[in-house]
Amino acid sequence: MRNEAECPGLWHWLQVITIGRRPKRTLARLVALVVICLITFTFVLIPVRVTGISMEPTYHDHSVNFINRLAYVRREPQRGDVVGVRLSPNPGAGTKIMLLKRVVGLPGEAVSFVGGHVCIDGDVQTEPYLKHVSDWEAPPTSLGPGQYYVVGDNRSMRPEEHEHGKAERAQIVGRVLFTKGP
Amino acid sequence: MNRTRCLLLLAGAVALGVWAWAGLFPNPQKIIEKRLIKLGALASFAPGEGNIKRLANAERMESLFAENIQVTLEAPGAGRRTFDHREELMQAALASRSFANRLAVSLVDINVVLDSDRQSATADATLKARIGQEDELFVQPLKFTFHKTNDEWLVTGIETVKSLH
Repeated sequence: MRNEAECPGLWHWLQVITIGRRPKRTLARLVALVVICLITFTFVLIPVRVTGISMEPTYHDHSVNFINRLAYVRREPQRGDVVGVRLSPNPGAGTKIMLLKRVVGLPGEAVSFVGGHVCIDGDVQTEPYLKHVSDWEAPPTSLGPGQYYVVGDNRSMRPEEHEHGKAERAQIVGRVLFTKGP
Repeated sequence: MNRTRCLLLLAGAVALGVWAWAGLFPNPQKIIEKRLIKLGALASFAPGEGNIKRLANAERMESLFAENIQVTLEAPGAGRRTFDHREELMQAALASRSFANRLAVSLVDINVVLDSDRQSATADATLKARIGQEDELFVQPLKFTFHKTNDEWLVTGIETVKSLH
C-alpha cells in the first residue's frame, strides 16, 4: 500500500522535472527553441569542420568553428580576416562546402609573394600568423573591384597544392567566429 | 471543434497537399537535383562489390547521359582530360575501380538554373569524394549542362570550375 501511494508522487515529480508543470508551455518553448536554432545555424552562424592543413597552425584539421554571415552586412572584409569562401562564383551556390582562407589583398591592390611573404603593391606585409618558413614566389596579381586575394596560413605547402587566389566578393560568405592568434 | 483547431487542421491539410503535389509532380530543378544525387551514388563503390552490381550501376549511370557529351575535367595533379562520347566516360568510370577499392562520391550544394526555353539547364554542384581508405577529402566544383530529350533530363556536359582565380 505504501509503495502504491509513493509511486504516483514519484511519477509526478519525474514529469515535472522532464516536461515541467505546464506541458503545453514546455512544448511551445521547445518548438521556439528548435525554430531559433534552425534559423541561427542556417542563416546566421554556419557550423564548419575544418578539413585539410592549409590553415595550419592557426586552424587545425578536424577543428570546429562557425562562419558568421552577418559579419559583412555593415562593413567589407578587411585584411587579416579569416573568411569562409564559397567554391562556386555563382552567388546562388550552397555553403555545405567552403574554403577557409585569410584575406590578404583588397580590391584595387596588386598582390605578390616574395620569400613566402605577401607583398601589397610591392610592400612586404607583416604577417604574425605565419609560423612556417616558405619559399613562395609569385609575380603581382592585380585585383579588380569586388575582388579579394585569399590564401591559407600554411605556406610550407607547395603552392600548387594550396588553393589560393582571387575571390569575388559574392563568394565570401562570412567571417570565422572564433578567431585565433594575434 | 473550436476555430483555432479548425485553422490548424486546414493549414496541415494544405501543407500535406503541397508536399504531395511537389512529390508527384516535381519541377525540372528538383528532377535535375535528384539525377545528380543519383549520379553520385552510382559512381560510388564499396570493396568486394560484385560484377553484376558493378555492371548494373554502370548501365544505370549511362542512362543519365546523352550519347554525345562534352566533358572537360581538370584537377590539380591529375592534368586535363576530355571526353566527347558517353562510352568513353563510362569506360573511364569503370577503369577507376581498378585504382581504388572504395570510392564514396556525393554531389552537394546543387544549384540548378533553367534556360528560358525550359529545354536545357545548367547546374552548379560540388563533388565530394573519398578515395580508398584515405581520410583526405577530394573536393571539386563542377558545372553540369542538361538537355531535355524525350521527356528526360540528360547530362550533355560537365566541366570543372576554378574556385579561385
